[in-house]
Parts: sequence; C-alpha cells; structure tokens
Amino acid sequence: MSIGRPYPAVGIAYRAAIGQWTRDHLGDFDVLEITVDHCIDGGRAVRSAICDLVGRIPLTAHGIGLSIATDAPLDEGYLDQVAEIIELLKAPTYSEHLAFARVPGRDLAILLPVPKTEAIAASVITKVRRIQSRIPVPLLLENISYLFDWPDSTFSDADFLNLICGETQAGLLLGAENLLLNSRNHAFDPYEFLDSLTPGVVKEVHLAGGTTVDEDFLARPYFVDSHSHPVPDEALNLLEYALTRHAPANIIIERDGRLDAVSELLDDVARVRARLAKPIGHTHGQSAPGSAG
Amino acid sequence: MANRLLDRQVSLLEYLSSAAAIFGNQANAPVDPALQGIDRGLLRLEARFSCNRRIKKIVAAFPRTFEILGADQSVILREFVEASRPTNGSSLANARQFHEFLSALWRREPPEPAYLLDVAAFELAMLEVRNMIEDREKPPKKGESDGPKPGIRRHRSVVPLRCAHDIRSIFEVGLREVVPPKRDTSLVVTLPAGFRDVKIFEVAPVVLDLLAMLDDWADPRTFCALADLETLTSDLAAQELIEVRA
Repeated sequence: MSIGRPYPAVGIAYRAAIGQWTRDHLGDFDVLEITVDHCIDGGRAVRSAICDLVGRIPLTAHGIGLSIATDAPLDEGYLDQVAEIIELLKAPTYSEHLAFARVPGRDLAILLPVPKTEAIAASVITKVRRIQSRIPVPLLLENISYLFDWPDSTFSDADFLNLICGETQAGLLLGAENLLLNSRNHAFDPYEFLDSLTPGVVKEVHLAGGTTVDEDFLARPYFVDSHSHPVPDEALNLLEYALTRHAPANIIIERDGRLDAVSELLDDVARVRARLAKPIGHTHGQSAPGSAG
Repeated sequence: MANRLLDRQVSLLEYLSSAAAIFGNQANAPVDPALQGIDRGLLRLEARFSCNRRIKKIVAAFPRTFEILGADQSVILREFVEASRPTNGSSLANARQFHEFLSALWRREPPEPAYLLDVAAFELAMLEVRNMIEDREKPPKKGESDGPKPGIRRHRSVVPLRCAHDIRSIFEVGLREVVPPKRDTSLVVTLPAGFRDVKIFEVAPVVLDLLAMLDDWADPRTFCALADLETLTSDLAAQELIEVRA
C-alpha cells in the first residue's frame, strides 16, 4: 500500500553551458538550483539569463565559494554578495558545502575535508550562526565527497554533521552520490550513515553520476564525483532509503561533464520520479561497489 | 595553538598546488609534517583535479591563443602551473594570471607569430567585458553634504586595447583564413546594455588615450586639451563608452 506523501520537487542544477536547453525544457522540472557563484563571477549575460528565470520556475540557491571550514574569518564581502543574489532569486534556502577550498592567498577551487573533531565542529558552528544572522533564509550544509581523510578525525561523517546541524538548526543537503562514493572509497555502510542522521535533518538532496579513476600512483581504483554520467541506481537506492526518514523539499541532479549527452538529465529526472512514486517502507538492496559512472 | 588548523590547511594547499604534487616530481621527497598520515597518491589525485579544473578555465578563456600555440601549449601550461600558484578560483582571476605570465614570458622571448601577444590581450579583454557586472553608485554617507561631483569616466564594460596588429579578422573570419596585418590599432572592446555579446570598435589613438585615463570619475577639462571636448564626450556617451555625471 502506498503511503501518501508530498513528493519533493525534482529538478537540475542550472548551468550556463546548457542554459538554452534548460529553458527549452523548463516544463520538465519542478525546480532549478542556481549556483550563486555563477551569478557573482559569471558576468552580465549569465546573471541576466538566470534572472530571466525568476518567477518562471522555483529557484534554490547553492554556493561553492564560501569555504566555511577555512580556519579564518568568513569573507563578509562574499556573504553580502550571496545575500544580494538570494534576494534576487527569491530563493527559499541557501546551501553550501561543509568543506574548505581556500586559505588567504591560495584558492584551489576544490572542496576539501577538514578533520572531524569537536574543536573544528565548534569553529564551524560559530560560523554557521554568523551566516544565519546575515542570510535571511535557512542554511543547508552539504556533505562533500572526499578522497582522503585527516588522520586525527574522531567523529564519523554522520556524527559530525549531526553535531553541527543539531547545534545550529541548519538543515542537511544530502549529497547522495557523495555519500555513495565516500562509502566505497572509505569502506563504510552508507545505509548506516543514513540511519545515524537525525531524522528530518535532510532538507534537500543532490544526485549526480561519477567515474572511477585508476592511476599507477594509486593503491587501488577510486570513485570520483565528476558530475558527468547518469545517476547510478545505487545512489537512487540511497535516495529512496533516505526518504523513509526525511522529507526533503527538493531533489536536484547535478551535471557538469559530458554536456553533449544532456538528454541523459531528462532520463535521470524520470528515474527519480519513478522512485518517488514507489511506496515508502521497502527495504534497500545493497549492491556491489564498482558501478559508478 | 589557535592557528594550527589554518597552518595545516595552508600546508595542504601549498602542496596541492605544487609541481611536485601535480606532476609527481620528487615522488620520494619528504612530505610536510602537517600532511603526514595522508596518502600521497590521493593528494596527487586531488592536485591533478584542481590543476585540470584551473587549466580548463584558462583554455576556455583563450581559445584562439591556444589554437595558435598548437603543440607548444602543453609546455607553456606546465611552465605556468609551475610558476603561478592559484590565488583565486574565478575564471577571470585565473585568466588574468595566465595573461600576466604570457606577457612576462613573451617580453623575454617574443612569441611566434608575433601577433599572439595581441590575440591573448584581446581574449582577456573580451572576458573582462563579459564578466563585468554593473557597479552601483553608493549614496553619500550620512553627514556628507556634498553629492558626487560632475565628471566622466570610462564605462565599466569598456576595455581599451592598443594592438600592434589588427587581429580582428582572426575573430571575425577565423584563424586559418587570415594573417593579421601589422598595423597599430586602437580598439575598444565593449558590451553595451541590451547586447548579448561584445562589440569591438576601432577608435582614434587620442580617444583610446582618453578612455585609458578614465578609470575613475574625472573632470575632463583638467587633463584634456581637445578643442571640441564637449562633442567628443557626448559622442562617447552616446556609444556607451563613457558615463557622464552632471
């Protein structure tokens, strides 16, 4: 028997490179996610194309440039710009990664982990509160995919997120593909991760498709979050399982690579909707690692 | 130690942006103590991802330059990565950094063909213009009775460019069809309101000089001795090359 539930909105992350295609297929999506940094750095044409979407489809705001976990003061000028873009988009939430990408004088533009310790959680909590006082919409933090972990981490991924979200009432943007890749690369059970999360904390979900990298300098193949392939079934299984304990407002599919195969995004949206249409409460089937991408 | 994490983060980013990590040089060199316990192969993979992402932004910013560079591009990119660490994640900042690197390189050793200098400068100018967001005039602060003084300044979405070759044909016709003539050319790259893409004007050298001076609001009479200044400023304003504050 199907348990009635409001379906989350399903959409994609807007990318200027497929901007026209996205506008042509607006009716296929319930929501679009806008990367605030593209509005800040992308120039007038990109910003104008994004602004044209306001009022035509609900928009959510996502950031990649905050570097919240850098052990330095927040960039207040950047936050001012984020606040301005959120107002422009009329976005109901603002999400960012629990990660760092830069230090004063260096910016690698990749999302890197921090040691999961109590002291670092305390520092992030202070910053989250500061952001919440500056940005007038709820803040969501996203779990990143990471290739290496710091040896002095003392918390599990889920406990670290629970602590920060619990103390600040920030929601979680569950990167389902990130979780899948981390579970494979670091050999943990992603369903245990989902079981450990505070019920209801997931407010939004990201899905994407990654690839496998095998290099002679690596001890074994690693799974990486390339946003370049269809969402794997294993990530959809995690989504389905998460929906038994959480009610995210939006499910967003991210795509940055192989944009010539953009129609795969429509297939992904259909596959997500098919999962949402299934009744809640079935058990998950874990599959063998190695199928990313 | 309050900065302990920051010190470790600095060490990590220094390592990830180093040639040692990106290209796998000195594979057996001792690792920074701050990074001990982290798999060196995974750091190398992160370093490569970050570098590739940066290079992708740069190649996208300078398509014709790279087309002309041809087989030389991998050597130049490697030298750039070794010489210039990433200081900002934006495409524009990385493009500026790459252009600075090219300019310094080509001052020491002129490029072949010589018009590459102009092509790279032109592509940077186009990116600058496309990335320009109109800045708003800030209202006077409380207690400041004086409003803004009258004057003119170069429009924010205008980049003046002096070239030794007329390289416009490369962008209009294509690379294979033309060899740009050697000719001093004063160009203005702009994105006027309502236009989706950049426009390029050739202007008189004296106009280029004037535009180059107008980074900030100024009274044109204080530095410009042109006979028909009023007509010139109104023409430039009509073409959206300058802003006029009455």
